[in-house]
Amino acid sequence: MDFRGIHDRLLAVAAPGLLGHDLPRPSNPADKKDKGRAGDPFVWVEPALLPAFLEVCRDDPRLAFEILVDLSAVDPSKDDPNMWVVVQLLSLSFRHRLAVKCTLPKASAALPTSTPVYRAAQWHERECAEMFGITFSGHPDPRNILLPEDWVGTPLRKDYVFPDEYHGISCK
Amino acid sequence: MGVLERQFEENVLTTKVDWLLNWCRLSSIWPMTFGLACCAIEMMAVGCAHHDIDRFGAGAFRASPRQADLMIVAGTVNFKMAERIKRLFDQMPSPKYVIAMGACATGGGPYYKYGYTVVKGVDRVVPVDVYVAGCPPRPEALLEGLMKLQEKIQRSSVIRRPARTA
Repeated sequence: MDFRGIHDRLLAVAAPGLLGHDLPRPSNPADKKDKGRAGDPFVWVEPALLPAFLEVCRDDPRLAFEILVDLSAVDPSKDDPNMWVVVQLLSLSFRHRLAVKCTLPKASAALPTSTPVYRAAQWHERECAEMFGITFSGHPDPRNILLPEDWVGTPLRKDYVFPDEYHGISCK
Repeated sequence: MGVLERQFEENVLTTKVDWLLNWCRLSSIWPMTFGLACCAIEMMAVGCAHHDIDRFGAGAFRASPRQADLMIVAGTVNFKMAERIKRLFDQMPSPKYVIAMGACATGGGPYYKYGYTVVKGVDRVVPVDVYVAGCPPRPEALLEGLMKLQEKIQRSSVIRRPARTA
């Protein structure tokens, strides 16, 4: 299925939390400021309902997204009060893909965990938690995965302040 | 060398003994089997037949720091690894030498500005004898670094007192 077919199927099964979709489009030659949008089409999903949405994507026989390829986050700008969580799904049965996005407020970035739906989400969520400061409620193992346990700060946030030293080693 | 170290005036006997001891040391520098990133691939190439680090007596890569004389820091050092490197260096017996191989180990390399976990040079953790430039350095460059280290060892004083610079 192409994206249009997947989106129609999501509407037909009334996938929980589906807010809308976003398609790439070419730039407008008449308007210099309009750069268009590159990249893949994706769907917007309500953050609180993301696990339920993923469960439908996994279990629906026409969608059958068996694999969670990636779960990541994006901090688009220092001025933007929101950040995104991006999930990439892949169906080996039908060889189609889907990108799912959620918007989270930076001030209180929290999301229910998707680990019960896709076990692959566990390590990705741990990485998102330490790099972006997102709280995944109900996560079975909320330790740091890459950074040291006593690391301070969330390095991939745009407002991150680099530390002066770590364990006596200068960082400047 | 313990109690004999740097105890003797410079004369024909002590300089010859020093020359012999230095020759022994520089002709059998055993590196530690130890690679952190892509530079380690070049280091492995140096160990293979084409470049053949064994020509310099440094081909015996030891799997334990207690048998090694040389630590080639080949790759990116991050803070989590820096403490392990310090511990490995402390476990090596004297005399011990360190080569910082490549841009990352020398000064942080491409991670200098935005690398939040990369140590900006392994010389902030252990003392470095020779820096090898490159990203990654060619195998010839590492051999050059090894020869520089051998020159440095040749100049060192073991039992004679080091020459005073008044």
